[in-house]
Amino acid sequence: MTSKTILKSATALSGLVLPFLAGAALAQDQVDLRMTIWSANEAHLAMFNEIADGFTQTHPNVSVTFDSLPFDSYTTTLTTQIAGGNAPDLAWILETTAADFVNSGALAPLSETFADTEGYDIEDVSEQATALWRADGELYAYPFSTSPFAMFVNNDLIAEAGAQTPAELIAAGNWNWENAIETAAAVADNGANGLIVRDFNYQIWQNLASIWRGWGASPWSADGNTCAFTDTEMVGAMTFVHDAIFDKGAMPEPGESVDFFAGDAAMTITQISRASLLPQGDDAFAWDLVPLPAGPEGEYAVIGQAGIGVFSMAENAETAVQFLAYMSNPENSAKLAQFFPPARQSLLNAETLGETNPLLSPEQLENVVIAGISNGQVLPGHEGFAEIQQVVRAELDALWQADADVAGVMTSVCDRIAPLL
Amino acid sequence: MKTDLSPRMKVLVYGLMTVLLIPFVFPTWWMVTSSIKPISDIFAFPPEIIPSRVDLSTYARVFELQPFAQQYWNSAYIAALVTAGTMLFSSMAGYAFARIRFPFANTLFMVVLVGLLIPAEVTIVPLFQIFLGWDMINTHWPLVLVPIFGAPSVFATFVMRQFFIALPKELEEAARVDGLGRFKIFWTIALPLARPALGAVAIFTFLHSWNLYLEPIVFLSSPDLFTLPQALTQFTDAYGGAMWNVQLAAATMTAIPVLIVFIIAQRQFVEGLAHTGLKG
Amino acid sequence: MTVAAQTSSEKVRKRPFWTMERRDSLAGYVFIAPQLIGITIFVLIPLGLVFWYSLHEWNVLAQTFRFQGLDNYRALLADPGLPQVLGATALFSLGLVVLNMALALLLAVLLDQKLKAIAVYRTLFFSPVVVSLVAWTIVWSFLLQNNGGINAVLALFGIDGPNWLRGSTTAMISVIVVQVFKNVGLNMILFLAALQGVPRELYEAARVDGTPAWAQFTRITMPMISPTILLTSIITIVGSLQVFAQIAVLTQGGPGMSTTVLVYYLYQQAFQFHKFGYGATLSILLFLIVAILTFVQWQMRRRIVFYEN
Repeated sequence: MTSKTILKSATALSGLVLPFLAGAALAQDQVDLRMTIWSANEAHLAMFNEIADGFTQTHPNVSVTFDSLPFDSYTTTLTTQIAGGNAPDLAWILETTAADFVNSGALAPLSETFADTEGYDIEDVSEQATALWRADGELYAYPFSTSPFAMFVNNDLIAEAGAQTPAELIAAGNWNWENAIETAAAVADNGANGLIVRDFNYQIWQNLASIWRGWGASPWSADGNTCAFTDTEMVGAMTFVHDAIFDKGAMPEPGESVDFFAGDAAMTITQISRASLLPQGDDAFAWDLVPLPAGPEGEYAVIGQAGIGVFSMAENAETAVQFLAYMSNPENSAKLAQFFPPARQSLLNAETLGETNPLLSPEQLENVVIAGISNGQVLPGHEGFAEIQQVVRAELDALWQADADVAGVMTSVCDRIAPLL
Repeated sequence: MKTDLSPRMKVLVYGLMTVLLIPFVFPTWWMVTSSIKPISDIFAFPPEIIPSRVDLSTYARVFELQPFAQQYWNSAYIAALVTAGTMLFSSMAGYAFARIRFPFANTLFMVVLVGLLIPAEVTIVPLFQIFLGWDMINTHWPLVLVPIFGAPSVFATFVMRQFFIALPKELEEAARVDGLGRFKIFWTIALPLARPALGAVAIFTFLHSWNLYLEPIVFLSSPDLFTLPQALTQFTDAYGGAMWNVQLAAATMTAIPVLIVFIIAQRQFVEGLAHTGLKG
Repeated sequence: MTVAAQTSSEKVRKRPFWTMERRDSLAGYVFIAPQLIGITIFVLIPLGLVFWYSLHEWNVLAQTFRFQGLDNYRALLADPGLPQVLGATALFSLGLVVLNMALALLLAVLLDQKLKAIAVYRTLFFSPVVVSLVAWTIVWSFLLQNNGGINAVLALFGIDGPNWLRGSTTAMISVIVVQVFKNVGLNMILFLAALQGVPRELYEAARVDGTPAWAQFTRITMPMISPTILLTSIITIVGSLQVFAQIAVLTQGGPGMSTTVLVYYLYQQAFQFHKFGYGATLSILLFLIVAILTFVQWQMRRRIVFYEN
């Protein structure tokens, strides 16, 4: 055989063999991504798995599993996994702990990969929504859920108590906190319960932001370095809340478990996704969804957010970021919008949201959801939030007594958290 | 103590015991009845000792929301493995410390006793790293190996040692004279005599494993692998709000079978515990 | 003697190394090997690692692990929250041990009577021990709500029950009571066994002497069961310092920090605030406390325990 023949044969052979080898090599590169989430809802999981399957179509060697961790210990469990060296590839992040994760350097930067992904349309993602998830201009987590706080109302109970419904108050231009508490107190006097700030339970005090923002109050300064509990705004707001509980009886006292969705309360402040808890059939009641009442400082909106981040320490961080880009692209964002109000402006309209929130009317969607997302401020967060949360919670316990000295408690709160800020 | 009581004293004793019984029995009763109430009735006032509205769907929902049957099996087989393993290795160690003279026996016993002093929260993070190094995270291995060989089994060793110390030596001495090896003596003579203590060890160990809460939460992340106490905390609705009645149904299913076994076997149970030789 | 003859001929025939004694010692080591190796891997090494961590500042998210020497220990001494935590721990343990032992003894005495259906009572008193811990605590957290089962029952009698889990004193009482009712059955059985081991002749003799019932109890019963009392008090105290799940479910350490015992504080620092280095320091403190308490109690056995011989 001549050298030419040998070369030809070799090339032919390699043409046959190399693809096999390459194929084998790729196949060996199995990537299993794991994302920790706090939802155990079947419908949510079904949708996530659908999206994961879609990604596997274009990336056959990648599989994605979703780990549901219990919500109330979510951050703790996640941190334990990281501490033990078993960090997931992706994780949901609460808005209150965003500062900790984003500033820690533990998360992988996302902007570049997002911009490089075809059809991603990063302009569509609202700047305001991502504010919390950026550090030094770089995006470290994607806000997949921006959920405004609003007020569900039980009109049956209010009518029974002969009080003014929020709808009437809104029509008269009198929808403010004074009147809201009046109505709540009337229902409470009549045998039921007034206003429930859901998930507050005298422990998750940051949810009171849905009330104190009406006073323009904030727990700490914008840069997070100074305690603002002692500012007049916050003292005013907390005095109002304290009186509503103990003087007017408009809110249940500590240790009382009341569930609005069981028909036991006049109003509840919560996120709109809870609409699915509204009872049907025999237990149903006439309900309404209204924006939060105005405070002394005027109208305002509060939003909760949840972000998804990728851990830079993870083996397959790059692939994980690609998956996140896929999961948050316009097509999948529309799917996610079923349950999680998106940060994409193109999806924030009554038609899109209406398809996935059939219980809410277009007006409700417009006035409450869309307005809320556009104008809302996020719940307060801070670096080292877990400890701050706990310390403030412990100090505020003194406030939830009938004869509490509001200003005094606020001072002690600031004393305790000043070194932590 | 006194064996003959006057009728007045008898009434007093019965009365006192019945009153004292309430906080022991009421919670279990309340758990069972609440598990079949509609959710709004659980906090109803006045409280319904006998439920007026019954909703048995909660029990079915338990299985829909979690792979509960699988989790039940997980708890059961892990507890069985741990109990068997502990009974074997702790009785061996207890026997050796009680009967066999070997150098440093006392020192080594002290070392083993250190295990009694350490709560799980203290060592959980290093243990997590050890098992990570062995690639056993999100498996049941940590839940089996640590209780058998680690801190929880030390109490069992202690009990077995106490028992063997108190056991009369004659049978074993005779066997030694006959030339029987140590292991044979242990297996064929000492161990059968230790049935009461072994029974007590089995009970303690099974309950401890059945109730483990922190360890499964730390080591396991797939719901298929969860154990019952862990599963109990998972009965939340889509948004993290607890579904009380379903949770209580699951709690009832967790508690009742063990309770029934206990009621049937309570005589052996109690007598086993009483004869651990822990009298001192 | 046959045995001696055998032994000396054995010694002549076999290598002098493996005497009966040596073989026995080997057996001893083999017997304890699984337990000992297990303790080393799963207890001693982690304990060493915990000590190692306590010398570092470990930020899990930032992935920093900086050696700090004894800084964590200095922080421990300067920690403003620690005195309150230690106070709560002492209060909880003391309350629990006193209530538990007293109740166990009372129940054991009541159950030591030859009465009909006594076994039923015994079973029922013991039943909480076998109920799942998490289930038991969840049920009690319901019952202790301000509008929960306990206050509802009290209201039927016209009593306005306090907000159990929201007042510092009532919260501590609640946590102690929940834990005691769960586990007192165990101590009750141990005391019952001890009571039944007291020779009846002693009581007979006392009755003949005309000794009143109470004196019989203090002068005969108590000394005779004193070994059991000591042992159960050690076990109960050590157990009380490890109570975690109940506090986590019922009060989360509150209100304020009134029910934050040391083991819960440790959990907060390490797992909630991600300060694993400081959490490790607290672990070492907890370990030392348990060790010292146990040692002291064990040394006191000569003073407390009455041995017949």
